[in-house]
Amino acid sequence: MIMKKMPARVESLHELLTFIRAEAKKRGFSESALSRIELVAEEALVNVFVHGYAKGQGQVEVRCLVADDPSLTIEIHDTGVAFDPLSLADPDVQSDLTKRKIGGMGVFFIRKMTDRVAYRREGNSNILAMTFLNR
Amino acid sequence: MEIVVTNESDIAVFAITGRLDAVSVPQLEERLNQWFEQPGKKLIFDLQGLDYISSAGLRVFLTTAKKMKARDGKLCMARLRDNVKDVFTISGFIALIPAFDTLGAAQDAIK
Repeated sequence: MIMKKMPARVESLHELLTFIRAEAKKRGFSESALSRIELVAEEALVNVFVHGYAKGQGQVEVRCLVADDPSLTIEIHDTGVAFDPLSLADPDVQSDLTKRKIGGMGVFFIRKMTDRVAYRREGNSNILAMTFLNR
Repeated sequence: MEIVVTNESDIAVFAITGRLDAVSVPQLEERLNQWFEQPGKKLIFDLQGLDYISSAGLRVFLTTAKKMKARDGKLCMARLRDNVKDVFTISGFIALIPAFDTLGAAQDAIK
Protein backbone atom coordinates (compact mmCIF):
# COMPACT_ATOMS: atom_id res chain seq x y z
CA MET A 1 0.00 0.00 0.00
CA ILE A 2 1.19 3.47 -0.87
CA MET A 3 -0.13 6.43 1.05
CA LYS A 4 0.05 10.18 1.39
CA LYS A 5 -1.25 12.28 4.25
CA MET A 6 -1.82 16.02 4.09
CA PRO A 7 -3.83 18.78 5.76
CA ALA A 8 -7.48 18.58 4.68
CA ARG A 9 -7.64 21.85 2.81
CA VAL A 10 -7.83 22.98 -0.78
CA GLU A 11 -4.14 23.95 -0.85
CA SER A 12 -3.33 20.22 -0.66
CA LEU A 13 -5.43 19.34 -3.69
CA HIS A 14 -2.89 19.53 -6.49
CA GLU A 15 -0.21 17.58 -4.66
CA LEU A 16 -2.65 14.81 -3.76
CA LEU A 17 -4.01 14.63 -7.31
CA THR A 18 -0.50 14.48 -8.75
CA PHE A 19 0.25 11.58 -6.39
CA ILE A 20 -2.93 9.70 -7.36
CA ARG A 21 -2.44 10.30 -11.06
CA ALA A 22 1.13 8.98 -10.89
CA GLU A 23 -0.02 5.82 -9.09
CA ALA A 24 -2.76 5.25 -11.66
CA LYS A 25 -0.32 5.83 -14.49
CA LYS A 26 2.04 3.19 -13.11
CA ARG A 27 -0.81 0.72 -13.47
CA GLY A 28 -1.18 1.56 -17.14
CA PHE A 29 -4.51 3.39 -17.24
CA SER A 30 -5.28 5.25 -20.48
CA GLU A 31 -5.23 9.05 -20.65
CA SER A 32 -9.02 9.25 -20.63
CA ALA A 33 -9.21 6.89 -17.64
CA LEU A 34 -6.60 9.02 -15.86
CA SER A 35 -8.76 12.10 -16.42
CA ARG A 36 -11.74 10.38 -14.84
CA ILE A 37 -9.72 9.07 -11.90
CA GLU A 38 -8.38 12.54 -11.26
CA LEU A 39 -11.86 14.05 -11.41
CA VAL A 40 -13.35 11.50 -9.03
CA ALA A 41 -10.42 11.93 -6.64
CA GLU A 42 -10.90 15.71 -6.62
CA GLU A 43 -14.60 15.35 -5.86
CA ALA A 44 -13.95 12.97 -2.97
CA LEU A 45 -11.16 15.12 -1.54
CA VAL A 46 -13.05 18.39 -1.84
CA ASN A 47 -15.97 16.80 0.02
CA VAL A 48 -13.61 16.13 2.90
CA PHE A 49 -12.09 19.62 2.72
CA VAL A 50 -15.50 21.27 2.77
CA HIS A 51 -17.57 19.03 5.03
CA GLY A 52 -15.09 16.95 6.97
CA TYR A 53 -13.79 19.24 9.67
CA ALA A 54 -15.81 21.98 11.33
CA LYS A 55 -12.75 24.04 12.24
CA GLY A 56 -10.70 23.27 9.17
CA GLN A 57 -7.99 21.53 11.13
CA GLY A 58 -7.70 17.93 10.13
CA GLN A 59 -5.81 15.56 7.94
CA VAL A 60 -6.78 13.58 4.91
CA GLU A 61 -5.02 10.40 3.96
CA VAL A 62 -5.00 8.89 0.50
CA ARG A 63 -4.17 5.20 0.17
CA CYS A 64 -3.57 3.44 -3.11
CA LEU A 65 -4.14 -0.26 -2.63
CA VAL A 66 -2.13 -2.76 -4.59
CA ALA A 67 -4.09 -5.60 -6.12
CA ASP A 68 -3.06 -8.64 -8.15
CA ASP A 69 -5.04 -7.40 -11.12
CA PRO A 70 -4.22 -4.06 -12.75
CA SER A 71 -7.14 -2.32 -11.08
CA LEU A 72 -6.66 0.59 -8.71
CA THR A 73 -8.42 1.14 -5.41
CA ILE A 74 -8.08 4.54 -3.82
CA GLU A 75 -9.16 5.04 -0.24
CA ILE A 76 -9.77 8.47 1.20
CA HIS A 77 -9.53 8.51 5.00
CA ASP A 78 -10.52 11.35 7.29
CA THR A 79 -11.34 11.64 10.97
CA GLY A 80 -14.02 14.31 10.63
CA VAL A 81 -17.68 13.98 11.50
CA ALA A 82 -19.28 10.71 10.39
CA PHE A 83 -20.61 11.28 6.91
CA ASP A 84 -21.50 8.94 4.08
CA PRO A 85 -21.37 10.95 0.84
CA LEU A 86 -23.10 8.07 -0.94
CA SER A 87 -26.22 8.74 1.13
CA LEU A 88 -26.84 11.88 -0.94
CA ALA A 89 -29.43 11.67 -3.70
CA ASP A 90 -28.31 12.07 -7.30
CA PRO A 91 -29.10 15.38 -8.96
CA ASP A 92 -31.67 15.32 -11.75
CA VAL A 93 -29.39 15.58 -14.78
CA GLN A 94 -32.38 15.86 -17.10
CA SER A 95 -33.81 19.02 -15.59
CA ASP A 96 -33.77 22.30 -17.50
CA LEU A 97 -31.79 25.40 -16.63
CA THR A 98 -34.46 26.94 -14.43
CA LYS A 99 -34.86 23.84 -12.30
CA ARG A 100 -31.29 22.62 -12.32
CA LYS A 101 -29.74 22.65 -8.85
CA ILE A 102 -26.16 23.65 -8.13
CA GLY A 103 -25.18 20.87 -5.72
CA GLY A 104 -24.78 17.12 -5.78
CA MET A 105 -22.61 16.88 -8.90
CA GLY A 106 -19.46 15.74 -7.12
CA VAL A 107 -21.01 12.66 -5.59
CA PHE A 108 -22.78 11.96 -8.86
CA PHE A 109 -19.40 11.83 -10.66
CA ILE A 110 -18.01 9.56 -7.94
CA ARG A 111 -20.87 7.09 -8.46
CA LYS A 112 -20.86 7.33 -12.22
CA MET A 113 -17.13 7.12 -12.93
CA THR A 114 -15.99 4.44 -10.50
CA ASP A 115 -16.42 0.72 -11.05
CA ARG A 116 -17.01 0.17 -7.34
CA VAL A 117 -17.46 2.62 -4.52
CA ALA A 118 -18.16 2.02 -0.86
CA TYR A 119 -18.22 4.03 2.32
CA ARG A 120 -17.41 2.67 5.75
CA ARG A 121 -16.87 4.08 9.21
CA GLU A 122 -14.01 2.51 11.15
CA GLY A 123 -13.46 3.81 14.66
CA ASN A 124 -13.38 7.58 14.20
CA SER A 125 -12.52 7.43 10.50
CA ASN A 126 -14.60 7.93 7.38
CA ILE A 127 -13.29 5.78 4.56
CA LEU A 128 -14.40 6.09 0.98
CA ALA A 129 -13.02 3.26 -1.19
CA MET A 130 -13.15 3.75 -4.94
CA THR A 131 -12.10 1.09 -7.41
CA PHE A 132 -11.24 1.60 -11.06
CA LEU A 133 -10.85 -1.40 -13.34
CA ASN A 134 -8.21 -1.21 -16.02
CA ARG A 135 -9.83 -2.30 -19.24
CA MET B 1 -5.45 28.62 -14.88
CA GLU B 2 -5.45 31.68 -17.09
CA ILE B 3 -8.37 33.76 -18.29
CA VAL B 4 -8.14 36.12 -21.21
CA VAL B 5 -11.19 38.24 -21.94
CA THR B 6 -11.63 39.81 -25.34
CA ASN B 7 -14.51 41.80 -26.73
CA GLU B 8 -15.59 41.70 -30.34
CA SER B 9 -18.43 44.10 -31.05
CA ASP B 10 -20.97 43.17 -28.38
CA ILE B 11 -19.67 39.64 -27.70
CA ALA B 12 -17.33 38.92 -24.78
CA VAL B 13 -15.08 35.88 -25.12
CA PHE B 14 -13.61 34.28 -22.00
CA ALA B 15 -10.69 32.09 -23.09
CA ILE B 16 -9.94 29.79 -20.18
CA THR B 17 -6.75 27.74 -20.20
CA GLY B 18 -5.37 25.20 -17.75
CA ARG B 19 -7.33 23.61 -14.93
CA LEU B 20 -10.71 24.72 -13.68
CA ASP B 21 -10.94 23.04 -10.29
CA ALA B 22 -11.64 23.80 -6.64
CA VAL B 23 -8.36 25.75 -6.46
CA SER B 24 -8.87 28.02 -9.47
CA VAL B 25 -12.64 28.53 -9.42
CA PRO B 26 -12.58 31.68 -7.23
CA GLN B 27 -10.42 33.38 -9.88
CA LEU B 28 -13.01 32.74 -12.61
CA GLU B 29 -15.86 33.75 -10.33
CA GLU B 30 -14.19 37.06 -9.60
CA ARG B 31 -13.64 37.76 -13.28
CA LEU B 32 -17.24 36.89 -14.12
CA ASN B 33 -18.62 39.00 -11.28
CA GLN B 34 -16.74 41.97 -12.72
CA TRP B 35 -18.20 41.23 -16.12
CA PHE B 36 -21.73 40.97 -14.76
CA GLU B 37 -21.42 44.49 -13.34
CA GLN B 38 -21.80 45.78 -16.89
CA PRO B 39 -24.88 45.17 -19.01
CA GLY B 40 -23.38 42.80 -21.64
CA LYS B 41 -25.73 40.17 -22.98
CA LYS B 42 -23.50 37.93 -25.08
CA LEU B 43 -20.84 35.67 -23.63
CA ILE B 44 -18.74 32.83 -25.02
CA PHE B 45 -16.50 30.48 -23.05
CA ASP B 46 -13.66 29.49 -25.36
CA LEU B 47 -12.37 26.23 -23.89
CA GLN B 48 -9.73 25.24 -26.43
CA GLY B 49 -7.04 25.48 -23.76
CA LEU B 50 -9.03 23.98 -20.91
CA ASP B 51 -7.38 20.72 -19.79
CA TYR B 52 -9.62 19.81 -16.90
CA ILE B 53 -12.89 20.71 -15.23
CA SER B 54 -14.48 19.36 -12.05
CA SER B 55 -17.87 19.93 -10.42
CA ALA B 56 -16.49 23.12 -8.86
CA GLY B 57 -16.01 24.48 -12.39
CA LEU B 58 -19.40 23.24 -13.58
CA ARG B 59 -21.02 25.08 -10.70
CA VAL B 60 -19.66 28.39 -12.03
CA PHE B 61 -20.89 27.58 -15.52
CA LEU B 62 -24.36 26.80 -14.19
CA THR B 63 -24.49 29.99 -12.12
CA THR B 64 -23.40 31.96 -15.17
CA ALA B 65 -26.04 30.31 -17.37
CA LYS B 66 -28.73 31.20 -14.83
CA LYS B 67 -27.55 34.81 -14.59
CA MET B 68 -27.46 35.14 -18.38
CA LYS B 69 -30.97 33.78 -18.64
CA ALA B 70 -32.13 36.24 -15.99
CA ARG B 71 -30.83 39.17 -18.05
CA ASP B 72 -32.20 37.69 -21.26
CA GLY B 73 -28.68 37.18 -22.59
CA LYS B 74 -26.97 34.49 -24.64
CA LEU B 75 -24.24 32.14 -23.47
CA CYS B 76 -22.41 29.40 -25.31
CA MET B 77 -19.16 27.44 -25.31
CA ALA B 78 -16.64 26.67 -28.01
CA ARG B 79 -13.91 24.11 -28.66
CA LEU B 80 -14.32 21.67 -25.78
CA ARG B 81 -11.67 18.98 -25.51
CA ASP B 82 -12.83 15.37 -25.32
CA ASN B 83 -12.32 14.88 -21.57
CA VAL B 84 -14.00 18.21 -20.81
CA LYS B 85 -16.88 17.38 -23.12
CA ASP B 86 -17.19 14.06 -21.30
CA VAL B 87 -17.80 15.89 -18.01
CA PHE B 88 -20.41 18.14 -19.61
CA THR B 89 -22.16 15.16 -21.17
CA ILE B 90 -22.29 12.99 -18.05
CA SER B 91 -23.55 15.88 -15.94
CA GLY B 92 -26.25 16.79 -18.46
CA PHE B 93 -24.81 20.32 -18.68
CA ILE B 94 -24.26 19.89 -22.40
CA ALA B 95 -28.03 20.38 -22.79
CA LEU B 96 -27.99 23.58 -20.74
CA ILE B 97 -25.22 25.52 -22.50
CA PRO B 98 -24.90 25.21 -26.29
CA ALA B 99 -21.46 23.95 -27.37
CA PHE B 100 -19.80 24.52 -30.74
CA ASP B 101 -16.75 23.02 -32.43
CA THR B 102 -15.38 26.35 -33.57
CA LEU B 103 -15.29 29.86 -32.14
CA GLY B 104 -16.78 31.17 -35.37
CA ALA B 105 -19.80 28.90 -35.06
CA ALA B 106 -20.30 30.05 -31.47
CA GLN B 107 -20.10 33.70 -32.54
CA ASP B 108 -22.59 33.13 -35.37
CA ALA B 109 -24.98 31.42 -32.99
CA ILE B 110 -25.26 34.34 -30.60
CA LYS B 111 -24.95 37.24 -33.02
